[in-house]
Amino acid sequence: MKALMNKEFKLVANPLFFLVPLLSALILIPQWVFFVALLYFCFMGAPNLFILAKNYKEVYFSATQPVSRREIVRARMYTLITLEVLQLLVAAICVAVRLIWWRQANFFMDANLAFLGLSFVMFGLFNVIMAPMFYKTAYKIAIPVIVATVAATLFAGAVEVGVILVPFLAAFFDGIRTTWQHIVTLLGGIAIFVVLNIAAYRMSARRFETLDL
Amino acid sequence: MNILEVNKLNKAYPTFKLENISFSLEPGYIMGFIGSNGAGKTTTLKSIMNLTIKDSGTVRAFDVDFTQNERAVKQKIGFMMGETDYFPKHRLRQITDVVRRFYTDWNETAYRDCLRRFSLDENKKVDELSSGMRVKYNLTLALSHNAELLILDEPTSGLDPVARDDLLELFQELIEDGKRSILFSTHITSDLDKCADFITYIQNGRMVESCSKDDLIAKFRTVKGTAQQLETVRQQVISFRKNSFGFQALMETAKVPAGAGLTVEVPDLEDIMVYHEKRSVIA
Repeated sequence: MKALMNKEFKLVANPLFFLVPLLSALILIPQWVFFVALLYFCFMGAPNLFILAKNYKEVYFSATQPVSRREIVRARMYTLITLEVLQLLVAAICVAVRLIWWRQANFFMDANLAFLGLSFVMFGLFNVIMAPMFYKTAYKIAIPVIVATVAATLFAGAVEVGVILVPFLAAFFDGIRTTWQHIVTLLGGIAIFVVLNIAAYRMSARRFETLDL
Repeated sequence: MNILEVNKLNKAYPTFKLENISFSLEPGYIMGFIGSNGAGKTTTLKSIMNLTIKDSGTVRAFDVDFTQNERAVKQKIGFMMGETDYFPKHRLRQITDVVRRFYTDWNETAYRDCLRRFSLDENKKVDELSSGMRVKYNLTLALSHNAELLILDEPTSGLDPVARDDLLELFQELIEDGKRSILFSTHITSDLDKCADFITYIQNGRMVESCSKDDLIAKFRTVKGTAQQLETVRQQVISFRKNSFGFQALMETAKVPAGAGLTVEVPDLEDIMVYHEKRSVIA
């Protein structure tokens, strides 16, 4: 597994991928839909990772090494998750800046712990749709990315609209003062992210194991 | 002990199927895997390596089941697909640095020796290498993790005659110690005339023969004769070709009629393959 991760970060995910998380700094824009800052990973990071691997014929390379097919999928999932968590870490720093020093409310959903929790859910949703769809073929990436990105965008849009229109949701998720609801949302979001990723991995691995390369 | 044993391998696609492919290879030999384009050579090799999921049949390598011991078995196999060039924009040094971590038995000294011997520059990118040098780089990686079985899909197809000859000589050298074997597919039969010990021949996904090269050649004869003589042997020949002097055909040695006045010659592998393919077209 170490060798596969070494391959992922030395031959596939080049240093440019580590610049995408910096786009989370867009959370520092005074008034904005902050989910968009994270959706950049779905627009740019994830598709490029898979397209680059496809151009390098990475699947064939990995499949001829002494590793199992499940490990190949697991390594790619770890890479995807690592880049997403980096995106969220930068987002968390920006959220902290807004909550501790700036303390300015946003017209749309505020950048708070609940926002981070819901962002975890958004990435989990993206992964659980994109990865299993991709591993049906291990080379067709456009449709899986489009479908998963639309799903993640719809989720983010629903949250934003919900927070503006539904008072209960606004009370639960919104606000620049940290509440227990925000903490519960963050922890719940992380749990859902983990569960969705396990499901994404299992479905992907099952499909990849029976695939003719 | 067989270093590789393929038994009744089957794989069906909507328009093509491999049927009951069986052969075995002992340590210290080179087996040529021949067949025309589209005969199923690559599919067979990919099925052996579990890149393609077989429908039925077994593959055993180093006396264990391949699928159940995939990770351990692949530690001892060097596999190369003909046209594949992984990571074309990366330098050899970067790729080697990744590959070496996959193998418990990586031998850095052997790696350096191979680089020197093949005049490979680690700072070159993969797409800066000629086809022959790419094959040599793949062999370098395989030899550096002490692969005992090399499975190579059309390794000579993109090479000029000099590079091919050079590579075939290298193959001979690699098996000299009797521990290593090479299975390589090709449709260039003259390669096998030079270096193969065993031949497995498939046609349209089906086995024609798997035996030693000498046995295969001994099994067939080319016969030449007049147009009238063709009528007496037409039913016995594998296929024939008419020319201005009469005909030329391939027959099983046992069926060559004695005293029929035919000119009988020893065929080469190309004759055997061409006449079998011709029969399949007629059929």
